[in-house]
Amino acid sequence: MKNNKPEKETSNRRNFIKLGLISSVSIAAGSSLISNLTLGEETEATGEKVKLLTPDGKIVEVAADNINKYPEALITPEESRKGIPNRKFVMVIDLAKCKNARKCVESCQKAHNLDYNEEFMKVQLIQDNPEASPYWLPKPCFHCDEPPCVTVCPTGATFKREDNIVLVDNDRCIGCKFCITSCPYSARQFNWGHKDKFDDKSQPYSPETSIPAAEGTVMKCDFCPDLLRQGKLPHCAKSCPMGVIYFGDKNEDIVTNGDETVSFSQLIKDRGGYRHLEHLGTKPNVYYLPAVNRQFPLERGFNVDEDIIERYKDVPYVQNLKKQGKI
Amino acid sequence: MKTKLFKFSVIAILIGLFVNTNSVAQDNKAKDFKMLYKFTTTKQADNSRLLEVSFIARHKKNRKNKIPIFDAEINFYNITEGENILLGTAKTNKKGLATLTLSENQSYFTDKDGYINLKAVFEKTAAIKLYEKSISVKDLMLDLNLEEIDSVKTVILKAYTLDSLNTKIPITDAEVIFSIGGMISNMPIEQATIEDGRYEFEFPTNIPGNIDGNLDVFVSVEDHEEFGNVIQKKTINWGNFNKKITKKENTLWSDAAPIWMYIVLTVLLVGVWANYAYTIFNLFKMKKEGKILEENIENQI
Amino acid sequence: MDLENRKRELVKEFSPLLLKTSKWSKIWMIALITIILIGLYAFILQFFKGHIVTGMRDNVVWGVYIINFIFFVCLSYSGAFIGGVLHFFKTPWKNSVARIVEIITVLSLIIGPIFILLCIGRLDRLHYLFIYPRIQSPITWDIIAIITDLIGCFIYLYLTFIPDFAILRDNSENMPKWRQKIYKYLAINYQDTKSQRERLHKITRTMSTMIIALAIVAYSVLAWIFSLTLQPGWNSSIFAPYFIIAGLYSGAAVIIIAMYLIRKYFKLDHYIRKIHFIGAGVVLLIMSLLYGYFTFSEYFSRWFSHKTHDINLLETLFTRYFWKFILANYIGILIPIAILFFKKLRSIKTITIAAVIAVLGLWLNRYLIVVPTLETPYLPIQDTREEFIHYSATWVEWSLSFAGIAAFILFFMLIMKLVPIIPMSGIIDQEREQKRKSKKRKK
Repeated sequence: MKNNKPEKETSNRRNFIKLGLISSVSIAAGSSLISNLTLGEETEATGEKVKLLTPDGKIVEVAADNINKYPEALITPEESRKGIPNRKFVMVIDLAKCKNARKCVESCQKAHNLDYNEEFMKVQLIQDNPEASPYWLPKPCFHCDEPPCVTVCPTGATFKREDNIVLVDNDRCIGCKFCITSCPYSARQFNWGHKDKFDDKSQPYSPETSIPAAEGTVMKCDFCPDLLRQGKLPHCAKSCPMGVIYFGDKNEDIVTNGDETVSFSQLIKDRGGYRHLEHLGTKPNVYYLPAVNRQFPLERGFNVDEDIIERYKDVPYVQNLKKQGKI
Repeated sequence: MKTKLFKFSVIAILIGLFVNTNSVAQDNKAKDFKMLYKFTTTKQADNSRLLEVSFIARHKKNRKNKIPIFDAEINFYNITEGENILLGTAKTNKKGLATLTLSENQSYFTDKDGYINLKAVFEKTAAIKLYEKSISVKDLMLDLNLEEIDSVKTVILKAYTLDSLNTKIPITDAEVIFSIGGMISNMPIEQATIEDGRYEFEFPTNIPGNIDGNLDVFVSVEDHEEFGNVIQKKTINWGNFNKKITKKENTLWSDAAPIWMYIVLTVLLVGVWANYAYTIFNLFKMKKEGKILEENIENQI
Repeated sequence: MDLENRKRELVKEFSPLLLKTSKWSKIWMIALITIILIGLYAFILQFFKGHIVTGMRDNVVWGVYIINFIFFVCLSYSGAFIGGVLHFFKTPWKNSVARIVEIITVLSLIIGPIFILLCIGRLDRLHYLFIYPRIQSPITWDIIAIITDLIGCFIYLYLTFIPDFAILRDNSENMPKWRQKIYKYLAINYQDTKSQRERLHKITRTMSTMIIALAIVAYSVLAWIFSLTLQPGWNSSIFAPYFIIAGLYSGAAVIIIAMYLIRKYFKLDHYIRKIHFIGAGVVLLIMSLLYGYFTFSEYFSRWFSHKTHDINLLETLFTRYFWKFILANYIGILIPIAILFFKKLRSIKTITIAAVIAVLGLWLNRYLIVVPTLETPYLPIQDTREEFIHYSATWVEWSLSFAGIAAFILFFMLIMKLVPIIPMSGIIDQEREQKRKSKKRKK
């Protein structure tokens, strides 16, 4: 009996220490679990709501003002057929700086309420010939001066405006898809089935915002005329972290990417700007600056989701990388 | 013992979770944020002065978490000889910016060195302490002149401050940027450091301006320790916009089609449908003929 | 009178065709109606769920519907062309097949545009095509052409029906009352007098020439929907003649198949004879040679000048669509040529087999024109979703295709119940001609 007592005492102590350790570890684990979950949510507010701090120390969520001042600044479908007067919008994309950050794609999707796979601005990986180095090609709609899509529309649902922008009027489109087959740059998309977001009546429809989209109609990049009317850059140009996308007015010969503002004609002349598939005669209004003197090695651009890298599986360069096991 | 230990650790985890939820809620209170309070002043092209305060809260741990402070009242003062003269009050907007614009007729008290001392104060509240910042600026005059000298378009800038006797004191060592007004942002054309209050350069000839050839020339001083931000603007018809605005009509992609398409379509359709009309007309004639014949036969019977 | 007796004999001969429906016909009709009902269900599904139930996606936006549309419309135009030519040139043995040809013309021109309607995303806005038309668009031209052609072919068909309605009206004592009423109404007092006959012949003749011209213009317009775009594989200068030749080829083949089926199941061996098959077979042979020539020109020039995008297209054709290509452009051409070229091999059965192979090959040819071009655009499709990269038709599209074919056959059978498939007035005219010629010879 005597032997048992000290044993029991030591075992009690041991148990107590064990208990203490286990409880502290579990509390720590639990709290870190919770903090990981919630801190991760403390990101930027969504487009609809903003988090604000009031002077009395409370954090509230309010509806953000619409960046394009809708519905007050609504341009109806008839009005949207005339463009912003005296402007000729043009975009310049600097392929030397693009590293497939895909911020342009995502901000455009958020602004136009698009799903994950619907992309007005697509980023493609183009390898011109087996010797060439591939480059990332952000590809919006080119808003051509001689658009084959406008020519073939039987009801005039897609139209070219005075300010160079080509828009789609969802109220008039009958969904014949002739324009989609006719665009050589594959810039257009179709709404195949019904989606709940089509019933969103919070904003009145305007071809300038492309919201809400309609089932059975065509949609595409619209150069964000609702922002242009406020004197702001389109969403893609604004959100590119590398300043790849320049946008401006050809009439005043100025383009800007948010940081640099330069003369459009000078930029094209100095950097050898060209247009894609020029020989087709569509006269696009998006110019590209060749991918020379790259700022980033190409591999930086593969830092994206697996399914996005899967898209480029036919490019010889990607197949090589896969063989080498680098991705 | 083992099951007891197990039960106890489960309870400990649950307690830990509950305790932590509270602490997380507290994580979002004002005291977990560090307030960033910035005060700047800009003298604008119409000689009005803009006072702007940016009041943003940044989370102490997660530096990317920035929340603007909304509806905070900021008082702007002109400080002179220990006295605070209230210039105006403004509330921060949803971006955390409070702006006050004072017209060019606003008179300021300057100190003996000629500086205007400004202060922006956020009175303390229960949750946020007092914030204030002061800046001292000298009133910089930018005289921007656009003249054609010997048929060369020249931009002449004279930069000076006025002392108490209203004499012009040319400034030295200030960086200015000349730019042309654009729809979305301004395009810089010349960057210079002003040596003795004067700078001139030749205006570039390849700027179109707007469709009437008018353009705005801006000169700006940015974030100068003595002058803050200063902007001056002048409009002039030096743009060489010479593209004719031709509206292309009657193309394949315009509303109205090429005229020859209308003609061909009309000719073809008229030809075909005239034939149909002729056929149907003949059918009716045949029917009438047959009817008369039938009636004749009936009459005969 | 001799003429009146002859008319009565003819009516007696053909009235079982009109009045009685054999057991097999009834079963056949029920089967067709079932297929049409399934198609109707598929249509309702598509109408309410949207085009997502089809296999078409953002790159291949035109699929089986457009292919069926082109196929049926080409049948119609070739029918119009062949019918017009037969009538205009007063070919001696034209009588037995003339009505078959014309009915095929009208029916396929009704079924074809239904397929195009299936391909339109917003059927509730169909009237916009008429309120806001843009005449620079090839689709507007196509709508105008199809409507004009449909009305023209309908008028022409009716003109050929009038004498037969008159004969039936005069000799229909044994027929149910509603039939008598219909025939009386539709015969518009045609009494077969000399002046009436002359008038009718005159307008039928002008209409037949018009139909030929209309067929060529209207089918070129359909070809231009493809060839006026910039896409590799479509932007070809010979698309319009190519489509017309392919149309004539498939039209002749379908006519042969129709002749065979009607001859067999309605026991009209006396009227539809081997010579008709040989004649149609010769037409098929000429068309297949021309069709093979045009197809070869198309692909040969693309292969030879090996432009990048043409080679991409050819690669798709020869890897993914290899067997379809072989069937359409080798077997579909060579076997009919082989069968028809040698006199020994020409029999009614073999000619019909050649026609069946030709029709299948031509449908596949249409598929190979529409779909591979859309799968190889200028800028590569870089997507991960299989249905966005390659096109495969779903059961909705197939069931609607078969429903269209079933509707075609069903309407054909119903029209055959209204008017005899061999024009009785044509037989009488033929006999009159023969008498006149033999009188001349006697003189």
